[in-house]
Amino acid sequence: MQDPFLKLMRKIFPRRELITGFGFPKLQCTTVQQIEVTHLSEIIIEAKELTRRYGYRVALKKISFAFTAGGVHGLFGSNGAGKTTLMRIISTLLRPQSGSITVFGFDPEEDFIEIKKRIGLIGDKPLLYPELTGRENLEFYCKLYGIDKETMDNGIETLSRRFGVFKWLDEPTKILSTGLRKRFDIIRCVIHSPELFLLDEPFAGLDKEATDIFKDYINEHRSTKTVVLTTHNLRLGKDFCDDYLTLRKAEIVAQGPISEFDEEM
Amino acid sequence: MTSALSAAFAIAKKDILSQLRKRFEIFAMFLFALISVLAFAFAMGGQVPPEIGSALLWVIIFLTGMFGFAPIFISETETGTLKGLSVAPIPAWSVYLGKVIYGFVLMGIVEIFLIPICMILLSFSFSANIFLVLGTFIIGTLDFAAVGAMASALTMPSESKSTVFPIVYFPTATSALILLVELTRGLAIGPGLIPLGFLFQIIIAHLVAMITISAAIFSYALTS
Repeated sequence: MQDPFLKLMRKIFPRRELITGFGFPKLQCTTVQQIEVTHLSEIIIEAKELTRRYGYRVALKKISFAFTAGGVHGLFGSNGAGKTTLMRIISTLLRPQSGSITVFGFDPEEDFIEIKKRIGLIGDKPLLYPELTGRENLEFYCKLYGIDKETMDNGIETLSRRFGVFKWLDEPTKILSTGLRKRFDIIRCVIHSPELFLLDEPFAGLDKEATDIFKDYINEHRSTKTVVLTTHNLRLGKDFCDDYLTLRKAEIVAQGPISEFDEEM
Repeated sequence: MTSALSAAFAIAKKDILSQLRKRFEIFAMFLFALISVLAFAFAMGGQVPPEIGSALLWVIIFLTGMFGFAPIFISETETGTLKGLSVAPIPAWSVYLGKVIYGFVLMGIVEIFLIPICMILLSFSFSANIFLVLGTFIIGTLDFAAVGAMASALTMPSESKSTVFPIVYFPTATSALILLVELTRGLAIGPGLIPLGFLFQIIIAHLVAMITISAAIFSYALTS
């Protein structure tokens, strides 16, 4: 079902920000039409003059950039460059002190739930409860994302087989190795089919088999989903990303298509 | 609204399941409560006047709650799982509500054993309507759980958590403690100058105020 008004708007204004920019009411509710509109937008994350400090230390200093929908966007930089801070701001976990950011055209201050529905986040630590089994952990997160039981059961079985953790589904995660916990964390991240994957060092702690499985999974979805990936492994980043953004001392020092990436930067 | 409530129940269920498997907090709470009752019973020769018994009972519940309520959010920060709750598409108040339900169930399990033991060892009984007695314990426990969950959330960013938690919990929960002692004394020996119904209304108002204020400001505790 498509709203004829939205259909017309799509033809006239191919980008969502132009639609809202002309004074049309900002769409707040979660409707199929709205999700279609966000897909139309070429720019999925747009930051302007973003600044974040921790006390006196500046983590991000007036950075501006835009990530387009689809593909893998690499976020490179040494330790303390501001990559994780930026990921936390995109995922609405952190508020910038100045500047603005929109994710899927939504303001994280106001429409954070709409953003959270569309993102899957992998951080430095697996977000798993040690006393619960892998299955219970995944079921818990599915409930938070409002996934129905049938989809949840299918998703858990399919993904756990794919990521090679099916036989550990009913073991408490506290007895599992770091690599197995990381595999469960990847399933947790993808089980609700997010439109945007925010992956902060996603391959850390994974063996070659799991890394290949996850890379295959991302490659399958790179045309329909957007991935923002931070990594210290520049070779992997160069092979895997479509474009890049390098941060150094809280500022952007280079960005562009990955073919122009210079490791010396 | 429905999904936020079901998320709150899912959070509570997850915490109860975790707690029943590790049994650390519940064991500490039960042990503290039991030793306190035994100590008072021996010190007072097993004959405790009802007005003192009501105070002892609620002070034990109040302090026992600290063992259960303090780790409510601190355990989430230690395991790093708070981030998982923070990025889930649910309102912050549903996380808070889930934790209040968990705190209430945890304390309720301890009270199921504690109250009969108190009644036996301290020779304490209630003369009032059983429903009013049950209502008082349910509302009182919920109130402590609401304050305890918020105190635990506010303690999260602090480096000296064990110092900060009582600083937040004690003054906020003391007003409810005084009301509950007065109400329970009335339930044991009959109403004093203030009618029991009026005290019950005040404690309900306290609970509603605590939950509303805490749920409203809770999003600031979740995001930096």
